[in-house]
Formats: sequence, C-alpha cells, structure tokens
Amino acid sequence: MTKPLKLAVVGHTNVGKTSLLRTLTRDVGFGEVSHRPSTTRHVEGARLSVDGEPLLDLYDTPGLEDAIALLDYLERLERPGERLDGPARLARFLEGSEARQRFEQEAKVLRQLQASDAGLYVIDAREPVLAKYRDELEVLASCGKPLLPVLNFVSSANHREPDWREALARLGLHALVRFDSVAPPEDGERRLYESLALLLENARPQLERLIADQQAQRLARQHSAARLIAELLIDCAACRRSVASNAEQEQHAISELRKAVRQREQRCVEALLKLYAFRPQDAAASDLPLLDGRWGDDLFNPETLKQLGVRVGSGIAAGAAAGAGVDLLVGGLTLGAAALAGAIAGGALQTARSYGSRLLGKIKGQRELTVDDSVLRLLALRQRQLLQALNTRGHAAMDSIQVATPQDKTWREGKLPEALNKARAYPQWSSLNPHPKLNQAERQEQIDALAQQL
Amino acid sequence: MTELNNLWLTETIRLREEHAGPLDDLEANRLARTAGGDLPSRIQRRALWLAERDGLTNALTHWLQGARLALLVLAALAVVSGAGLAFAALGDGQVPVNVFWALGSLLGLNLILLLSWTLGLVFAGEHGATLGRLWLWLSEKFARDAKAAQLAPALLLLLQRHKLNRWAIGVLVNSVWLLAMLSALAILLTLMATRRYGFVWETTLLSADTFVAMTQALGALPALLGFNVPTVEMIRASGDAALNIESARQAWATWLVGVLVVYGVFPRLLLALFCLWRWKTGRAALRLDLNLPGYAQLRERLMPTSERLGISDAAPDQLHRIESGVSELHSNGALLVAIELDDQRPWPPYLPKTVGNAGILDSRESRHKLLEQLSRFPPARLLIACDPRRSPDRGSLALIAELARNASATRVWLLQAPPGEALDAARLGDWHTALQQLELPFADCAPMNWLETGHD
Repeated sequence: MTKPLKLAVVGHTNVGKTSLLRTLTRDVGFGEVSHRPSTTRHVEGARLSVDGEPLLDLYDTPGLEDAIALLDYLERLERPGERLDGPARLARFLEGSEARQRFEQEAKVLRQLQASDAGLYVIDAREPVLAKYRDELEVLASCGKPLLPVLNFVSSANHREPDWREALARLGLHALVRFDSVAPPEDGERRLYESLALLLENARPQLERLIADQQAQRLARQHSAARLIAELLIDCAACRRSVASNAEQEQHAISELRKAVRQREQRCVEALLKLYAFRPQDAAASDLPLLDGRWGDDLFNPETLKQLGVRVGSGIAAGAAAGAGVDLLVGGLTLGAAALAGAIAGGALQTARSYGSRLLGKIKGQRELTVDDSVLRLLALRQRQLLQALNTRGHAAMDSIQVATPQDKTWREGKLPEALNKARAYPQWSSLNPHPKLNQAERQEQIDALAQQL
Repeated sequence: MTELNNLWLTETIRLREEHAGPLDDLEANRLARTAGGDLPSRIQRRALWLAERDGLTNALTHWLQGARLALLVLAALAVVSGAGLAFAALGDGQVPVNVFWALGSLLGLNLILLLSWTLGLVFAGEHGATLGRLWLWLSEKFARDAKAAQLAPALLLLLQRHKLNRWAIGVLVNSVWLLAMLSALAILLTLMATRRYGFVWETTLLSADTFVAMTQALGALPALLGFNVPTVEMIRASGDAALNIESARQAWATWLVGVLVVYGVFPRLLLALFCLWRWKTGRAALRLDLNLPGYAQLRERLMPTSERLGISDAAPDQLHRIESGVSELHSNGALLVAIELDDQRPWPPYLPKTVGNAGILDSRESRHKLLEQLSRFPPARLLIACDPRRSPDRGSLALIAELARNASATRVWLLQAPPGEALDAARLGDWHTALQQLELPFADCAPMNWLETGHD
C-alpha cells in the first residue's frame, strides 16, 4: 500500500480554498463556505481513494491574511551576521511566540504546508495582482515545497488571468491550472492532477490512477443518469388513463395525469441529484433549473413548449393550448399501432388482452388519455439540460446555473425514438399505471436502447 | 453458494430496494467496508448479509430445491415419453413395422421442435422471452411472501442482461430431448433384441425407386459410422411383404437404429454441448453491472471516493485582535491615502490645496515609508480610501488601524464600484462590520469638506 500524497490547499482568505476541496472531493458538506473572510480557521483533511486505497490527502487551511507583516517579521528574525534559508527561518518563527499570537493562522498554514508533499495555491482570478499576494507567495515558497497555482473563478467575466500568468511567471511559477470550483471544466480535475504529476514525478502512478478512476466514474455516472432519464420517459410514454367522455371527468383525469407526470419527473430529478452527490435541498433552494422561475413554468403550458422550440403538432395544439398538452386519442386509433408493435414484439397475447378491455371501453364511450409527444420531448429536454448542468457543476456551487436551450433539434421535432413508440403499446411498462410489470425483459431492453440514444 | 447464486441474490436485493425503498443497511455497509476488496465484491457482501438477515438465502435454497425437483420430474417424463416413442414406433411385433412410419414417430416431433427452437434462437431470442414471461408469471403465482417475490425476476434480468437465458434454456431443452432420444434408443434396442420384427414400406402414389433413393440417402450418413444399409434388392422386396430372412431384418434394424442415432441423438447432443459451453463461458463472465443506478448509488456508501479526515489543527477561540486608537501627538494638516487600488481606477481625485495626497499603499516599502512619515508628522485628519471589492482581511485592517493610530481623526472612504460593475452586498457588509469593530467612521462618498475644514 502506497502512502497517500499529501497536499495543502493554501491561499489568501476568501479565494475559495474550501470550495476547491468541496469540488475535488464531490462533498457538498465539507467545511464551511461563506463570503466572510477567515471563515475557515482550522486545518481539515479529506481523503481521495481508489478501490479503497487512499491516494490523495487534501488539507484545507485557513486563509493567509497578513503576509506583508509576516514577511517583515520573518526578515527581522535573522540576527545580524547570520544568513538563514527559508525553512530555517520558518522553523525559528514557528518556535517563537508570535506564531501563537498575531500570526497564529499563518503558522497553521505554514506548518501544514511543511508537512505536505506540495501545495495548491488558490488564486481568485478576479483580484488584481497586489503586493500582498507576491509576499504571500514568497512566504509560502520558503517552506521549500512545490507550489501549483490554481486559478479559481476563471469563468467570471472580469477575471485577470493574463496579469496573474505574468506575475506568477516572474516569480518562477510557470505551471498553473485553471480550475473554477463553481463551474469546473469537464477535464479540470485531470488537468490539475496532470500538472501535479509534473511537479511531483514520484507521485505520477498514484495520480494517474486517480485520473483514470475519476474518468471511469464520470462515464459510469453518465450511463446511470441516461438510464434514469430513459426510465422516466418510458414510464411517461406508457402511461395511460381511461376516462369517460364527459367534460368534467376528462378535466379531472387530465389534471391527475399531469400531476402524476410531474411527480414522476421530480423523482427523476431527485435521483439525478443523488447520483451526482448533490443534496435534494440544493434543488429546492432554487438553484436548479427545474424549480427556477423560467423552469417553474407549467410543464403542460404551450408557451413553455414554444419557448423551448418544441413544435406542437397541429392536431394536438388545441389540447395543448387548452392547458393540457395531453393527447386525447380515441381508443381505435392506437389499437392499430399497439397491435403492430405488439405483434412485432411477439407480445400478441398481452396485446389481445388489453385490446379487449380497450375495445370494451370504447363501446362504453370511454376515451384514453396518454402523454403527448411534445411533453415527452420537453421532459427529455429538461432532463438533459439538468444533466448537462450537473455535469459541469462544482460541489461548491451555491447559486443557480444558467442552462441554455440545447442547439440540436433532434428532440424538438421529428420522430420520437422507437423505444418510446413501442412503450405506448405497453401500459404495464409504466410505474404510473396500475399493476405495472417493471421487470419485463422487453422493458429493460427498451430502456437500455433509449439510454444509448440519450 | 456458487458465484451465480451470489450474483442472483445481489440482483434480488437491488430489485427489492428499487421497488420497496432502501433497506436498513448500516451494519451491512459497515461490514462490507471493513472487509475491503473492490466495489463489486463489497456490493455482493452487503447484499449477501442483507439476504441472510431477511431470509432470502433460505428462499433461494428452496427455489433451487424446487427447480431440482422439477428437473427430475422433467427428466422422468422425458425417459417415459422416449420409451413411449419407441413402443409406438415398433408396435407389438404382430404386424410388420412400416419403416417410414416408425421413423416419423421416432424423429418427427423432435425435428419439428428442434427447428422451432433454432428459429427462435436466430430471430431475436423471442423464445427466451416467452419462456421468461412464463417464468415471471409462474413466480408471481407461487411467491409466498413479498421478500422472495423478486427472486425469479432477478435471475431473469441478470441472465437477460448478458443474453445468457437463451443458452440456459438451450441446455435444458436439448438435454431433455437428448434424454428422451436415448431412452427411445435403449427401448428400441431392447425390443429389437428380444422380439422378431419384420420391416415393410407401403405406398400407393410413389414408385419403388423413390423409396430406394430415400432409404439410401437417409442411410448414407449412418453408413459412414458403420451402420448397415439394406441393399437395393432388399428394399424392393420389402415393398411387397416383410422379408423373413435374418440378414434383411438385421439390415433394416441397424438402418433404423443408425438413422435414429444420427438424426435424433447426435443433433441434440451437439446442441446441448454447444449451449452448455456458451452457458459456462457466459456464466464465468457474469459481472455486476455497476452502471445500474441502484449500484451506482451504493458506491459512495461502500467505497467512498472521498472521506473526511477531520480537523487536524483546531481553530483558536478567537482571532488576534487588532487594537485601534488615536495619536496623542500634536497633529496638523489633512491627508488622503488609498489602500490596494487597482490600476483601473483614476487616482487621486481632485483635492483642495490644503489636503495632502499620500498616494496608493500596496507594497511593504510604501507602507513603511508612509508610517515613518506619519509618526513624525501626524496629520489631524486622515482619510483612508478602500476598494470594498477586496476582501477585508486582517492585514488590511491592521494597516488601517496602524494608520489610524498615527492620526488624530480618521475616516474610511469605501469607494463606489467602477462604472458598469456592482459591489457585492455581502462583502460590503463585511467591511462595515470590520470597520465598526475598529470604531472607525466610514462612508461611501468622500467627506472632502471634513477633510478640508474638519467640519461636516
């Protein structure tokens, strides 16, 4: 078993050190994050493991706040006629009494950095390069440990990355990583660990293992998410309500169906949040598109459909405009499709059974409610947008992410995937219907096929 | 417990949790974590522990016992029906045996079902799906309690995912038929060894040549294995009446046995072996599908990729306090100084002649220079301009306090945001709190009047 690599996350106060740790560990509850300076006043560790083997220990440290005065003090520690190098000077400082008084916080940081293999120096890229940051770097450099500058908040509009690059180069720090802890780029962690591997050649195998594992997990998460969305879509496509053709009962059934679909969507959202290790209240705290103003619009509201560019079919538009968007298909029309799909799938018996009862319903004057195609497209769009948002959301994010409408048109118009058309003929595939048979092999096959397409 | 049974139970637990909500798994998770290993083995360990606790393991054993019993019954049925086929084909020896009727009753059903099975296998595995649905339906009917209800679907899903169910069913179907054929062969040999049968063929429509050709064609393959084929004269003669000569009886009997072995026993034997091979290799490759949401969610609980190590260097009870105060020395004049402004801001603003400009403090050297100067000539009024977009850290506050200690009266000017930008309200609030603690008055516009004259 190799010893885990120890990294100290250091930097000025309020630059997002704890945020960086939250994002790297995918732990939304790590430490405390706030706008106040000196929020973190202790050193706290977190461990990253692969297959149960610890590979990386990250230590969150208090912010450096008074580096100018500290550097001043350090220089005065040198007695006349002696010449101390950085670590020796620090050792004298840490033994002294100021390390427990005025520079107590700074001493914590330096002790931790000395005990670590390297430091991640977090920079708020929106800040100008002030003298105090240069002094900070000088103090940190005297620990004699490699430092990797990490530019945080680079996705902000007014960042000053070029200034920082130049200033760091002047200080001899040429390797640096852009990593926005709130909106990390998809390959952000890989770049960070790769840069670290350049600084710490011995730790390369460990870091490469970590990179490979994180990539594998990212893929696994995406597959799981696609499955969750596919299940939602199959559930909704196969959902069906039988209702007597009587205006009042119809309205009631429509609102019931709508409620069921929305609850089902909410379940999917919660499952996605859980999969991506976000808290359910992260969504309730209005920072997820679904519950945001724009997204909170009525799912069945035709305006929402239009806004998202979903082309509402002309025949169905009337229903959608009426605030329903739910297709009222006369039983006879779907029977043909059901029979065809059923015959293809070899489920002739099953179809014949439902055929009978639906025919009976038709004679009794009942109509069938199913979820409209556009609603399915909208559900898919919304879930995919949520998924994209989750993929690029750091675990330090506190506020909401603006999700753009996807540019590709595949879901907005054109044919629905074959799996959904098929699902329409199998009411027992929907968990929203009574007596569902969710474990049918064909259902699982269709879910797999749909998840592939997503 | 075999590897397959472990996977089966794991899948059952996953289905249970998917349908009936999560189980109380604290202890199971802890045990799985301490046992170590990779993620699939931890998931399995957890599932096995839960299965044992909830009696699923017992239910599985019952299931397997039932399956074994059913298999025995099926085998017995196969033996009996195989024997029945042979009896039906040969009859009681009173009348001569019609060879083609005998062949039809021995092989006909077998070959038709073989064809349908092969077609099912080739075309989308419908066969397996139908039998699978039957299996699900049966298990629903026979499931005595809710716990065991997911056992059958779990096996089906597990095998279905790796397309293994068709091979499992193939092994079953083909070995049962093989058994039936062997039983038929045994009875056939016994009957022919102990009874005297005459063999004929009959036709109304076809010519004798057709029968000769057919007999020889069917006998060609068995002949390669050493089975006799009746000669042309024998075949022609058997068209009229059963030949009462030993060599003809033996020739027809070995021909019949040969055809049964080659077209009845061999195909089933080969298919059973093939299916068995596919099933075994497939079973060896059977793994948990970690992409399933149910398993993906277990990862953080069983093999956390990140865990907190706790606090290693505790926070102090309180941070170092910055002392504020005013200069007691004789002071004179007014001074404006700015702290840590960036170059985007025009500085200094227009100043009356009586007000001195100390520039922008940023580096250590500029701080030292100004503090030296202030301690020698303390100003009566000092205005410190700060950019509230910076964070009010202890270093800046200490500098402000030190400057204030060198003047008789000090005020802080929190600058407005540059055009097109807005101040962060939370950060501005932090500045207000910090300055209130230093007991310094602050404002968001320059108190030039006060600076110039000392009056507001």
